[in-house]
Amino acid sequence: MISFLDLLGTIGASIIGLPGIIGVAVGMATRNWVVAAALGGLVGLLAPMILGGSHSTHVAITPMEYAISIGIGLLAGLVGCAIRHKGASV
Amino acid sequence: MADNDTNPRRRSLLRRLWDGFWSPTGVLSVGFLLIAGFIAGILFWGGFHWSLELTNTEEFCVSCHTMETNLGEYRETVHYNNHSGVRAICSDCHVPHEWQYKIKAKIMAVKDVYHEVLGTISTEEKYEERRLEMAAAVWAKMKASDSRECRNCHAFEYMDFTIQETRAADNHQRAIDDGMTCIDCHQGIAHDLPPGYLEEYEHVVDMLAGTTPIGQGTEVSDVRAWIGGQSDAAH
Repeated sequence: MISFLDLLGTIGASIIGLPGIIGVAVGMATRNWVVAAALGGLVGLLAPMILGGSHSTHVAITPMEYAISIGIGLLAGLVGCAIRHKGASV
Repeated sequence: MADNDTNPRRRSLLRRLWDGFWSPTGVLSVGFLLIAGFIAGILFWGGFHWSLELTNTEEFCVSCHTMETNLGEYRETVHYNNHSGVRAICSDCHVPHEWQYKIKAKIMAVKDVYHEVLGTISTEEKYEERRLEMAAAVWAKMKASDSRECRNCHAFEYMDFTIQETRAADNHQRAIDDGMTCIDCHQGIAHDLPPGYLEEYEHVVDMLAGTTPIGQGTEVSDVRAWIGGQSDAAH
């Protein structure tokens, strides 16, 4: 069971973390919306694996964390692609 | 309509700023923009991280009136004052080190400001009424994370049981054997415990295991009885 505040925190952390920042960056690398979303989603998938663990404990990353991370990565990729369309002619 | 769009003097300030933002620069090279963007990024990220670390200081945590009780209790514990001088401040126990969990904790901490403004625990009576609920929330986080914040400093692997008290050594060995986590035994390590805390902790464990619905198990009558006992003791 995940509380609303917990959900909000997880979403915010994903936006300011790798899925949000790198997601926008990879989205800006292409004009193809599908590729941008896929790359963003991939970053979202990898981010919990890279940053989600802890050096001191072995707590499994929950499916909810993965889902939020992938969702934010995907959206960030689309935002990055929109920036590319709006701000670049190539 | 067409005139409005093409005549810059007639367009709104916001519209002109928006268009200017997305227009190609005619005076700056790509290299200049890249270097400037890189430096601006470092400055922004450094400033952001610096500000974030400021919110991890003990002074910041206890700057709210509602944190005075916690602070007083914490000052009586070994985590505040001990023979070696090594201390664990609020953020060491309540803020994860890992980036995404740290940000999550910071966002969730907004509720502390909200309740400070509302005065939810502004008096001793209100505080005691909520103590079990607040403690249970922290226990749930610690149990779910396998006491991650405790383990930033403490690790079974580096404990020398031969120089621990027999009772402590036995219990730590049992904890390893049974796969227990720090908070399973150390619920009141930094703050006072209300009555009924063991039942509430069992409820937290059951809740995390998915065997008990949330919202059951808090014996408010016990808390109120304890507050009464405290008041009687004070008199």
